[in-house]
Amino acid sequence: MLEVESLTTRYGSISALRDVGLSVGSGEVVCLIGPNGAGKTTLLSTISGLLNPVSGSVKFENEEITSWAPDRILRSGLALVPEHRRIFGDLTVDENLLVGGVTISSGRRLELKEEIITLFPVLGEKLSTEAGYLSGGEAQQLAIGRALMSEPKILLMDEPALGLAPVLAEVVFELINQLRQNGQTLLVVEQNARRILEVADRGYVMRSGSIVISGDSNELISRDDLFETYIGKTDTTHE
Amino acid sequence: MNELIQQIVDGLGRGGIYALIALGIAVIFGVMHLVNFAHGELITVSAYSAYGLFQAGWNWWFIVPAVILIAGMTSVVIEFLAFRWVRGAPDFTMLMTSFGIHFVVQALFVMYVSANFRQFPRPDWIFNTVKIAGISFEVFDIAVIFFTLLTLIGTFWILQKTMFGISLRAAAEDFDAARLMGVRSDRIIRGAFALSGVLAGVAAVFWLMRSGQAGPTAGLTPMLKGVLAALIGGLGSLGGAVLGGVALGLVEVMLISRLPEGLVGLTDGIVFLLIAFLFVFRPQGFISVRRAERV
Amino acid sequence: MSKEYFHSRLFTLVGPILIFAVLVCGGLLYASFGGSARDGLITQMLINAIIVLGIQIYVGNTGVLSFGHIGFGAIAGYAFAICAISPTRKNSQIPDAPFGLSGIDLTPFQSVLVSILLTVIVAFIIGLGLARSGARSGSVAATVITLALLFVVHEVAKNWIDLTRGGKTGLSFSPLGNATLQGRGWIYIALLFAIITARLFKETRLGRLAQAAREDDLAARAVGIDPAVQQMISLLLSVTLVSIGASLRVFELGSINPRLFFFKFTLLTLTMLIVGGRNSVTGAVVGVVIITAGSEFTRYLAGPSVDVAALDWILRSGLTDIFLGASMLGFMIFKPAGLLGDWELDKWLKKFLPEKTNAEAVKDRVENNQERSHQSLNVEGVVVDFGGFRALDRAEIRAGTDEVVGLIGPNGAGKTTLLNVITGVVDCSEGYLKINGKSIEGLQPHMIARAGLVRTFQNLRLFHLLSVRENIEVARLASPDANNRLETVAIEELLHITGLDELRNRRAGELDYGNARRLELARAAAANPVFLLLDEPTSGMSDHESEAMIHQVRSVASLIGAGVVVIDHDLNFITGICDRVYVLDQGRLISTGSPEEISLDEKVRAAYLGSS
Repeated sequence: MLEVESLTTRYGSISALRDVGLSVGSGEVVCLIGPNGAGKTTLLSTISGLLNPVSGSVKFENEEITSWAPDRILRSGLALVPEHRRIFGDLTVDENLLVGGVTISSGRRLELKEEIITLFPVLGEKLSTEAGYLSGGEAQQLAIGRALMSEPKILLMDEPALGLAPVLAEVVFELINQLRQNGQTLLVVEQNARRILEVADRGYVMRSGSIVISGDSNELISRDDLFETYIGKTDTTHE
Repeated sequence: MNELIQQIVDGLGRGGIYALIALGIAVIFGVMHLVNFAHGELITVSAYSAYGLFQAGWNWWFIVPAVILIAGMTSVVIEFLAFRWVRGAPDFTMLMTSFGIHFVVQALFVMYVSANFRQFPRPDWIFNTVKIAGISFEVFDIAVIFFTLLTLIGTFWILQKTMFGISLRAAAEDFDAARLMGVRSDRIIRGAFALSGVLAGVAAVFWLMRSGQAGPTAGLTPMLKGVLAALIGGLGSLGGAVLGGVALGLVEVMLISRLPEGLVGLTDGIVFLLIAFLFVFRPQGFISVRRAERV
Repeated sequence: MSKEYFHSRLFTLVGPILIFAVLVCGGLLYASFGGSARDGLITQMLINAIIVLGIQIYVGNTGVLSFGHIGFGAIAGYAFAICAISPTRKNSQIPDAPFGLSGIDLTPFQSVLVSILLTVIVAFIIGLGLARSGARSGSVAATVITLALLFVVHEVAKNWIDLTRGGKTGLSFSPLGNATLQGRGWIYIALLFAIITARLFKETRLGRLAQAAREDDLAARAVGIDPAVQQMISLLLSVTLVSIGASLRVFELGSINPRLFFFKFTLLTLTMLIVGGRNSVTGAVVGVVIITAGSEFTRYLAGPSVDVAALDWILRSGLTDIFLGASMLGFMIFKPAGLLGDWELDKWLKKFLPEKTNAEAVKDRVENNQERSHQSLNVEGVVVDFGGFRALDRAEIRAGTDEVVGLIGPNGAGKTTLLNVITGVVDCSEGYLKINGKSIEGLQPHMIARAGLVRTFQNLRLFHLLSVRENIEVARLASPDANNRLETVAIEELLHITGLDELRNRRAGELDYGNARRLELARAAAANPVFLLLDEPTSGMSDHESEAMIHQVRSVASLIGAGVVVIDHDLNFITGICDRVYVLDQGRLISTGSPEEISLDEKVRAAYLGSS
């Protein structure tokens, strides 16, 4: 469904990507893990059109979408829940959801909003609240709900559990699980490697702008060198 | 007491016009982070359109919608010709660009129309007064307040209830996030310019009814007042812009009616000084808009 | 050092003098082929050049767009006219002038001094307001304040009839309103003074600090620069030149009215500045020449002597204004930096001189082996809330000048927030920040930098238009020379350690990623801090580069004798460089110890990989 081939991106302050390739099949939940600064966010930003790659290609449903404008990519069915959520704090919860559905017909938009509210009851209770007043967990649910409003074929999530207390993070992982059961295709960037690997089908591990390990979740989770890859070698004997 | 009420109504009439101009400036600032010093040119264009249409024998009832339409279209054209090239440029470049537009438009009028002010007839009813509860008001002030309110209600309805308005506010808060939701940046910016132009058109109609003349610099004073009002209110805040405009109008009227005869000419100067003082104590304006900068 | 410094400053004068010579000779040559009209044009051009150079000092060095300088010009022009016009003329024009002004009788020279004094006082007050409004490059509030000034002065000039005789007639020196200034001697002197002042100011400590703040306000504060001070001094110097130019303009024309210093003249002078390049003194003069020539040519085209029926629609009055407006607009859209950017004639000429060798340059270096006495940084119980989200919850960190302390934790743990709190960018609701037991809470970022805490930025914040070397020099210039600190830091040594030797003249904005990171390190070190605070110094680097960074950070720290607090995600790097490590998770300190202890701590593993 989504094919990324030898993608290289340079971007001012965020680390670059070097020759990155990955794929996500329809209905799959794939996770992308790795240390801070490895380029995970840059990769998602490049796929969703916020950054332009220097070389390489992104194909979505066999169509070349490299360097398309973000709104065009969204219209083709690829949505991103950005890092730090970036919900519209001055807009109400209701309006945030409506903006999420800006690309679909108005009738479908209202229908879908009801579905989202069923999925996230807490949003339903706070429809007329300004989103800036939501708690972290609620805001994350809104960010995901808002992205789902475009009926994406694939949903990209950038650190959905970032900044959430463990209990609330757990809610997010439950949610990912639920989306997976609904058949939603997902590509999730997450710090909490163990937890996300329990939910995902496959995983990629990034470090310094490249993918260094990939494989099935079960396989990755049991690899001893995962922690080392993650934050560098801790072997102190050869210092 | 009666006098005070009269003055307040007078101030609201003035302030309403400022509010409309300020709101247009705030809308553009929201989506582009640009203070549009060329906003006054929309009023200049409106003034000449009104003058031209008068020459062609139209009357005010047809001129009003035509002027509003022309202002809206001019705004979009200016965006297309100039501002779209400096989208996302440093603030200095955008400020200077808007000033460049101001000068070019002004020069075009000097070149192809006249450097002198042209007079056109004002509608005769604007000088009428009515007595309500024993106090006489200018019909014009009441009309301005009424139509300003109507326009503001309409604008806020658009901003609150239509998909365009909601998207525009979303884009104003976080442009990239809005694009990620599928909001088309071209459309939203063009729409913002159109909205801002229409607001300027409505303001221009009132301004022109009062001044009754068209000149290359007709838009200068209203532009400056609008920018100041938007700044007083807190740049980027739509409600603040309206508040700032009304406050500016009220203060002006209060000053004019209280200053000794010889100093009335200095009203604008004194208002500017007051505003400068306000900035010293509250640089962010009445309503501060959060714009987090990640360090 | 002083002698070398003096020589390099002396060479800087070559540029202004050459520019002056070319401008004046060219002008005279042009005028010699024509009548008095050409003569008048050249006089005007030279006076405009003085005013534009004045504006350049402020706009160029601070990046704040000012529309108010012509307003200052109006104040100066009126002050000059009111002082210099003879009492008899004044009695017939403004007999009711307040404060008995109609009676005073000053020479033109005295009048210029009065006009400068008055304008500088007004500028000082406006400058305080600008500082309050947080003026910085491209800031809107500052621009509007200056624009308002232009209008206020105009309104006052139009309406204070007793003093200015109002808008219609204005004030004049003689009944016929003839030009009063005889010869160009004073103009030449003033022009030479203006060019030299503007050019030298760009190279002074103040000028360079202002340019740094123009490039990046926050980064400038982080090395100890208070932009408000540089902006104020730029403004005062700038209006001094504008006052001189405005007085000459009035004197030369023999009269003044409110329109003389209003929008049209603002457009003219700003276009001159923009077209040549606002950051360049040479550019300002080039802009003056080009725009004067262009205006004159368009005026000629629009005039009666050119009559082409087919082009009648364009060759008409107003063409000059279109030319000015279009030049301004065109340059902003296609070449915002102007023709010359920040190019200077003398800098260019310097390239042809034999370059001084490194060995000589290193003489700058001061003995830095003197041991700094041990100093300490104590941060305790820091609490920060963003809305409802607690970003830091009693976070703490301690460091001494003899160690390198690491701060690690997963994304979102609050590491950068803690650094922002320490450097005064973010306020904390609770907590103590102390350096050697002295509290630094609530201080402005530049004060904290001067107290000895200088940081780097995760999202690189270099002074883009300045060269690599200049970035480092500016930081050194900003550092105060407290007694217990090293007097200066060896720039050459810093360039050498960070491997930026060869790139010293490259603009910082052109550096690749790794070099930009290393320059951040060098710049912070040049501010001569007690503690270097590094935010992700290896982020985005290859493993090889980050390994080299271990040595570089250590060498830099030992060169300046500073302690180091470093945030990083790369445990390789942290293990290699740190003596002690603090681990943050969810805003709390969860573990602290040697890198080895940390890597074995189950809580740390859980924080990074998550617990299932």
